[in-house]
Parts: sequence; C-alpha cells; structure tokens
Amino acid sequence: MLLTLAFRNLWRNRRRTLLTLSAMVVSAALLILALGVFSGMFRDMLASATEQYYGHLVLAQTEYHERRDLFAHLDEEVASRYITAEETEIIGISPRLRSFGLISLAETSQPVEVLGVIPEREKQVTSLQTKLIAGDYPSDAVSNGALIGQGLARKLKVSTGDEMVFVTQAADGSIGNDLLIVTGIFATGDSRHDNNLVLAPLQWVQQVMVLPGRIHEVAMTLADPMLASLAADRLNPRLPGDVEILDWGDLLPEMREVIAAYDVSRMIIVSILYMATGLGILNTFFMSVMERTREFGILMAQGMRPWTIRGLVLLETCILGGIALAIGLTCGALMTLYMQQVGIDLAGYITPVTYAGGTILPRLHAVFEAGNFYVPAGMLLLVSLIAGFLPANRAARLDPVQAVREV
Amino acid sequence: MKTEHVTKTLPTLFLTVVLLLFAETAFTLDVEALVRQVEQQYMGASSRAQTTMLVKTSHWERSLEMEAWSLDRDYFLVRIIEPAKERDVATLKRYREVWNYLPKVDRVIKVPPSMMGGSWMGSHITNDDLVKANHIEKDYNLRLIEETETYFLVECLPKTDAAVVWGKIVYRINKTPQVPEQVDYYDEEMVRVREIHFDDVQQIGDRIVPMRLTVLPLEKPDEQTILHYRELVFDLPLDETYFSLRNLKKP
Repeated sequence: MLLTLAFRNLWRNRRRTLLTLSAMVVSAALLILALGVFSGMFRDMLASATEQYYGHLVLAQTEYHERRDLFAHLDEEVASRYITAEETEIIGISPRLRSFGLISLAETSQPVEVLGVIPEREKQVTSLQTKLIAGDYPSDAVSNGALIGQGLARKLKVSTGDEMVFVTQAADGSIGNDLLIVTGIFATGDSRHDNNLVLAPLQWVQQVMVLPGRIHEVAMTLADPMLASLAADRLNPRLPGDVEILDWGDLLPEMREVIAAYDVSRMIIVSILYMATGLGILNTFFMSVMERTREFGILMAQGMRPWTIRGLVLLETCILGGIALAIGLTCGALMTLYMQQVGIDLAGYITPVTYAGGTILPRLHAVFEAGNFYVPAGMLLLVSLIAGFLPANRAARLDPVQAVREV
Repeated sequence: MKTEHVTKTLPTLFLTVVLLLFAETAFTLDVEALVRQVEQQYMGASSRAQTTMLVKTSHWERSLEMEAWSLDRDYFLVRIIEPAKERDVATLKRYREVWNYLPKVDRVIKVPPSMMGGSWMGSHITNDDLVKANHIEKDYNLRLIEETETYFLVECLPKTDAAVVWGKIVYRINKTPQVPEQVDYYDEEMVRVREIHFDDVQQIGDRIVPMRLTVLPLEKPDEQTILHYRELVFDLPLDETYFSLRNLKKP
C-alpha cells in the first residue's frame, strides 16, 4: 500500500520528478564514464610497465632488481621448482637473461638492454607482439633474431633484415659479441623501451654472455594484476632465502601510490558531484512535502503514524534513486562500453606521457572496474536517503490540526 | 654490466712509465718544465711490447697474452694473442678515439662516449683513461709536494675546466733509478680508490723501466690486474699509417 502510494506521489508532478530524475541519471552515468576513462588511463600506465616489460611478478635473486648484478643468475628451470601448475592465477611464465651492452653499426653505437627470452613464453608475459610496426616477433626459427624498439631502429637507421653487432661484458671477463638480425620493430610509446629494449633468443644471449643454462629472472603474469602482491606474499615463503618474488608494486612503487591515490580521488570526485545532485533532490522533496502539508495532515488525522509518513517520503526518494540508478548505470555502462570498444584517439593532439614508471597513451579509453560502478551507485542511494531525510522529518513532525488547515 | 671506474688504461700505464723515465733532469727544479720537456722528449718515441695481463675478480680469473705498439702519445694498438678464443681481438687508440676489432663478427667498433668508462678487456683498466690520462699535464696542475732521500711525491689536481675522472692523482717516483713506484688515484670526494704499484725494474736499452704494474681497485680488495712486460723495445721505425683501422683488423 505504502509502496503504491509512494509511487503515485512521485508522478503527481511529473515534470519536476523527471527533471530531478534526469539530473541523477546524468550525474551517475557521466561519473561512471569518467571513472571508467580514469581507470583506463591507469590500466594503460600499468600495462605499459608490466605488460611491456616487467610482468606482474618477477622471481629473481634478492636485490637483483636494484643492482642488476650480472652474476646474480639462477638455474633456467628455477620457476618449475617453486611455481607449480596449481597456481592457476599465473597465466604466463617467462625465464629471462638480461644483458647491458652496446648495439653497434659501423660508427654508431647505442647502449641497450638485451632481454634473452624464449619467444613463445615471453608472449604470455609481455605483449610486445601486439605493438609491432614492422617485421615479425622473433621465433625459434632464427637463432639470432631480435625485436628492437622504434626509437633504437631510428637511431641506428636499421630496418628488418639488417645485421647489428651486440657487444657486452661476458661473465668470464671476455668481450661477449655476436651478430643479431632485426626481425621485428615495436613501438610502445614508452621512450625508455622504444629506445633501449632489445628482445633476443635466450640461448643466443646465454652464449654471448657465457652463461649457458642460466637466467636472471622469471617474469610472470597474473589473470588479475591487482592480486599481484597477494600472490607474491603467498609464494615467497616457499622460496629459499636468496630468491624472492617481487610484485609490480615493489618494482614500481610510484605506480602503486598513484593507484592507491586514485581510490581516494575517486571518492572525492563522487562526493563533489553528488553534493550538487543531492541538493537538487533535497529541493524537489522539500517542495513536494510543502505542497502536501494538508494531505499529510489528513493522513495523520486518519491515524497514520508519523514514522509511516517519514517512511513514505523516504520510500519516494528511494524509488527515485532506484530508478535513477537503473537508468544511470545502464547509460554509464553503455558509454563505458563504447569507450572501451572504440575510444577516442588523441594521438594527433598529444604525445605519450611517461609518469610514475608508466606511460599514459594519447587516447581516451575506458575499462570496466567494479568499483567504478558500486561506488557511484552506493553513493547515489546514500545521497538520496540523506536528501530525503530532512523533508521526511518535516512531514512526520507536522501537527495534524494545523496541517489540515493549511491551504 | 655497470662500468667500473677503477683504473686507467694500458697505454696510460705505458705513458706513465715513459713520462717518468724522461723526467730526470728538470724534475726537481720545476714540475711544469719537466712536463714540457717530457712531452717534447716523447715526440717520436715508439715502442713494442709483449705483455701478459692477469685479471682477478671475485667471479673469475683470466690471463691474456698481448702484443702492443705505441707511437707518440696519440697512437696505440694492442692485440690479443692468447687465449685462442679471443685471439686477434684488438684495440686501437688514435688521439681521443678508441676502436675495437672483434674477429668473431669481423667488425670494427668505435667505443662511444657512454662506454669510455667501461672496463677494457674485462680488466681493471677502463677505456676512458686511455684517452684522458694521456693529457695529464693538460688536465691537471702538477705540484711537487714532498721530496725525500729516495723519492719525490707529485700531486696532480684537476684544472677547473678539465673534464676528468679523478679528484687527485699522486705519483711517487723513485730517485735512483728514476722510476715510478706507486700512483694513487682519488675520486671527487678525495677518497683513494685505486693504486698502481710498479716493480721488477729492468734496464731496456738505455732506459730503466719497471716491468710489472699491479692495479688495485681499493673498493674491491680481492680484485687486481697485473700487467707484466715480458719484452719491451723502444724506438722502432713506426709511423701513423701503422695505426690504421685496416691494420687493426689485420694481424
């Protein structure tokens, strides 16, 4: 009965209700879209660092990450000893050997970081194969095929099929050197990787560095990158003391802070926007309650308890909030979907920005994240209730005798 | 691998020796004049050496047999003879440029500025001093700080506008025979980071030369490079054409 009453009351002043409703819908939908785009930006940043280089988890000797010590190497099979097939959340495992040295062509030389990888394994961890602008990803077919960044290719003036010399200090003290053939060129937008990173077959790097069967680290990807630190905490106790697993938050502390700060700023943005929406709701219901003073008086005179009156008004705001939520979430989700599938390319206006160890790509692109829906949704209901509470209280406190006389 | 700012290069060591050998007369009087004279006397000087280089680090030890030629202060060529795996790996220095020849890939590579601080042939000798230490008296102010019965101490402080690696270099030179005994290298914080000791003094022609140099990187007490001259010949008929990129490739 109360529900029907509340519902009917809402539509007595259709224009006003619709206006308020549309304000709530628009604010919720736009908020969801904006948060989706923000999340997309952070996801891009995180992906640029993890899916183009680190991976979500990295197993290596303790302090290898800080010192990059050439001699801090591990057995090639180290991962299979500690990471079992039961770890279903780990969806990619790639052993790597890292070497710093020079790529030379006649008189030009560039300092580079060569990552020795097993191409098929590395593809599970990094996504450079999706960033190719020329040639192909190295395969097992070419024993010295290399994938290099666009910036490096430009500096060395090489294209696919060209030979380059890699020179480094080998582990036995000799000058490690050998020829690489460019099989592919990638462009990530992250200048550090585009200018310095070279992917080469693991065996080739092991031979140049005189480190047969050795690797420096095992990079891993997870189904959900946000669970990386939990996974690291769970796996680390299994490892011997001189080996550790770091998650991307350890590798990129700034990134972790940026993302933590995002959770706070999301609340602030939601609060500010809903403050305005809340005032609109408040206004609508005050008006509605004032208009119905006489009506409430009669209802009370007939024996309706004050808390029922209060409940009636609150129910009205809740219904309004609920309807706004349903439409707002749908619209927000649809817009987010559009931005996820299509997005807006800004490459013509801005260049990639590197920040906190990641790269913000010149595009507006949204991702779905549960928090971007339930935070605005929950807040909208909360605001509706708060905004409804004052008018409801006023209605409940009416003196029936005076209220009935009101015109 | 990170570069090691530990030592100067082989030719530097050659130079150190030769520079000090020629230093005799004017040295006690005026260090600047000494250097000028040294520079002039050095003109035209050439040498050929057979050396053994022993490098010991905390991870590996190795021994290289090398043959080296030098001309003036500006030309230097060294080629590895042993071990077989690295045979014919060679380094050429011409003025401020350093080139390496890598027989495995049959390529000549110019050492870029970013790698000049890097280790030379895995030793505690870097590419950098190969170029820079040849200009000691141009980049540093020399001063006699101590003279005893047996030795001189010469302090070299960098000139204000000189782009140098060391904060201070101190030479200890024996009086008779006039040969270097020890050179200490200090970083910018004036912490002593490297020592080179000279011994096994021998007469080569009309010169007296210490035939063995030991490079000690003080930050890594268990590491050292020992360079031993097994054969040393001065004043050979060499000219600049010998120090060509083509010759770098051809033994």
